[in-house]
Amino acid sequence: MTTVRQNSSNAPAQEPPDDGSRGAWLLVAQREIVTRVMNKAFVIGLLVSLAVIALLAAFFTWQSTRVDTYTVAVAGSDATAVASATAAAELADAEGGSTELELLEVADDDAARAALSAGDADVWLHPGGDGWVLAGEGQPDSTVSRLVGTAVEQEVLAANAEAAGTTPAELSEGAALTTEALDPDAMGEDTLFFASFALSFLFFAGAIGSGMMIASSVVEEKQSRLVEIIATAVPLRQLLAGKIVGSSVIAAGQNLLFAAVGLAAVAVSPIAIALPALSTSLIWFVVFFTVGFLALAALYAVAGALASRSEDLQYTSTPMTMLVMGVYFLTFTASGSFLTVLSYVPVANVVAMPARVLSGDTSWWEPVVSLLILAAFAVLALLVSERAFRGALMQTGGRISWKQALRAEA
Amino acid sequence: MTTLEVHDLTRTFGDRRAVDAVSFQAPGGMLTGFVGSNGAGKTTTMRMMMGVLSITSGEVRFGGAPVTRADRRTFGYMPEERGLYPKQPAIDQLVYLARLRGIPAAAARTEAMEHLDRLGLAERAKDHVEKLSLGNQQRVQITAALMGRPRALILDEPFSGLDPAAVDGMVDLLREHTARGVPVLFSSHQLDLVERLCERLVILRTGEVVADGTPAELQEAGTVRHRLVLDSDAGWVRGVPGVHAVDVDGPTALVELADDATTQRLLATALERGQVRELSPVRPSLAQIYREVTA
Repeated sequence: MTTVRQNSSNAPAQEPPDDGSRGAWLLVAQREIVTRVMNKAFVIGLLVSLAVIALLAAFFTWQSTRVDTYTVAVAGSDATAVASATAAAELADAEGGSTELELLEVADDDAARAALSAGDADVWLHPGGDGWVLAGEGQPDSTVSRLVGTAVEQEVLAANAEAAGTTPAELSEGAALTTEALDPDAMGEDTLFFASFALSFLFFAGAIGSGMMIASSVVEEKQSRLVEIIATAVPLRQLLAGKIVGSSVIAAGQNLLFAAVGLAAVAVSPIAIALPALSTSLIWFVVFFTVGFLALAALYAVAGALASRSEDLQYTSTPMTMLVMGVYFLTFTASGSFLTVLSYVPVANVVAMPARVLSGDTSWWEPVVSLLILAAFAVLALLVSERAFRGALMQTGGRISWKQALRAEA
Repeated sequence: MTTLEVHDLTRTFGDRRAVDAVSFQAPGGMLTGFVGSNGAGKTTTMRMMMGVLSITSGEVRFGGAPVTRADRRTFGYMPEERGLYPKQPAIDQLVYLARLRGIPAAAARTEAMEHLDRLGLAERAKDHVEKLSLGNQQRVQITAALMGRPRALILDEPFSGLDPAAVDGMVDLLREHTARGVPVLFSSHQLDLVERLCERLVILRTGEVVADGTPAELQEAGTVRHRLVLDSDAGWVRGVPGVHAVDVDGPTALVELADDATTQRLLATALERGQVRELSPVRPSLAQIYREVTA
C-alpha cells in the first residue's frame, strides 16, 4: 500500500522543514516592540496618560482629605444658641467628616451681620419667628445646615421634654435607625461605576491604540514591498505571529502600567478599603484583555493586509474600530442581566466580566468559563485571520475585501 | 555554476493569462536581462520565481531540481516599487532583513557596514532611511539583496531612477556576484543598458517569451537587412520583385531581401544601371529586434 502525499506545487511552502526560520517570529516581535518603544509619539502619549492617572488620583485624594472650617456666629447672651452651636461642632467632630465648625460669640444682631459681611463668620444662628434661623451671606452650606439643624433640634427637644416631665431618650425610644452592610466588601455604587468606566476606557484605548499600530505596521511593509523580501525569508505565519505577539506585549504592558499606577493611587486614597476587590478585578481584566487582544490584533493585522496604502487603513479597519467602540459604550452603560449576558460574549466580556467580579456578584467559575469562551473565540479569529492575511498580503493594487482575501490562493 | 530556469511557467488572474507557458534560463555566472513592455508579465514571473505569488502551472528549477523554500531563502531579491522602513536607521534594517534569512546578527552587522562603506554611506548608517536621497535609498535596497552571499539574484528594475555613474557602480557590484558563478536575472526598460550589460536576454510580450538568447544569437535570428549604395538615385529598387525597401534616401537604400536569388537579381539589375558602391548586410540593433518581436 502506498501513501500518496499531496503536495500542491503551486502553494508557496507554508509548512517548511525547519530551515532555521522557526524562531523568526521572535525577531519580528522584537522589532515591533523596539520600534514602538523608540517612537516618540507613543512614549509621549504613554507619559501623558500616566500623568493624567496620577493627577486624577492626587486630586481625588486631596478632595477627600480636605477639611473645611465654618464659623458659626451666635449671640453670646443666648444660652440656647451657644449650646446648639457647641453641640453642632461636637457632632461635626464625632462624624469625622471633612467639615469642622467653630464658634464666634458676638454682642448682638448687628455685630453678627457685620461679621457675616466681613467674612469673619460663615453663618449666623439666631432665633426667629417660632423657630430658629441659620443665615449666611448666600445659601448656607448643606452639611453645615444639617449639623446645626440636628443640634438645634436636640436642644429644643431636650428643653420641651423637660417641660413635659420626660426625657429625650424616652421620647425617641425605639426610633433609632442604624445601618449595617451585609457584605462589607460590596462596592459603593459610585466606586463601581467609575471602576467599570475606567475598565472600558482602558480596553478602548489599549485596543484601538495597539490595534492600529499592528495594522499600520503591516501596511507599511506591504506598501514598501518589504513584505515580499520577508516572505521569501520566513513563512508569513511567522511574520503574523511575531506582529501579534509584539503588539500584544506592548498593549498588555501598557495596561499593566496603567493598572499599577491606578492601584497605587487607590492605595493612598481614602477608598483604599476597595483595594483587594479592585486588584482581583484588575488582574482578571489584564488576563481577559491579553487573550481578547490576541483576537483583535489578528483582525487588525488583516485590516493592514487588506489595505494597499496607509490611506486605505481608515476604511479597512472600520469594522474592528466599530467593534471596539461598541464594546466600550455597551459595557460602561450596561447593568443587570444585560451586563450578565455581555460578560459571556467574546470581546465584550473583556470589560463586562471583570466589572461583574468587582461588584462581587459572581461565582468563582463564571470568569473561568467566560475566559474559555474568549480563548476559543481568539483561536477562531487567529485561524481565519491567518488565512485572510496570507491571501491579502501579496495582492497589490487597491483595497481588498475579506471575501477576496479568504478565497485567494496565496 | 548553478542555473536558474523556468519551465512552462503560467499564471492566470481570473480569465487573464498574465504569464503563459514561459520558459527560459538564467545561467550561473551571467547577467540575464529580462525585457518587455509594461504589463508583459516580467514582475509576475519574477514574483512566481521568488515564491511570492503562487504558480498556476509550470515549474521553477534551481541547479536542475525544483526550487525549494530553503533555496529561495538564499536568493537575493529586489521587488518592484520597493521601499524600506522610513523611520529606521539603514544599518538596523539591513541587519534585521539579514537575520530573518538566518544570518547571525554580528556577521550581518559587519557585512552591512562593509557594503555601506563601499557605497560611501558608512557615516550615514545610523540615519533614518527617509533622510537619505532616493539614489542612496536604492543603494541600501540593493545591499539588502546582496547580503549573505546569495546563491541567485532576482532584481526587478534595479536601475530605475539611478544616474549613469550609480548604474556603473551597481553593475560592478553585480559582476562580483556573477564572477563567483551566481545567476543574476534583472528586468529593465532601458534597452541600451541591457544591450551593454547582459550576456543573455529574454524578451517577453503579453505573457510569452518572444526571444531568448545571447545578444549575438538574437541579432542573427533577427531579420537581416542590406544596405545598397549606388552612384545614382536608388528609387527603382522598390519595383524589384522580392525586395522590400525599408528606406530609400537618394543613392542609398535599406532593403530586406526574400532570399539569396533575390540578392543576386538585385545586384545584377544595379550593375546594369550603373556603379554599385556598396552592398552589405546590416546587423539589427537590439532596440530594433525588440521592436520587431514586441510589435
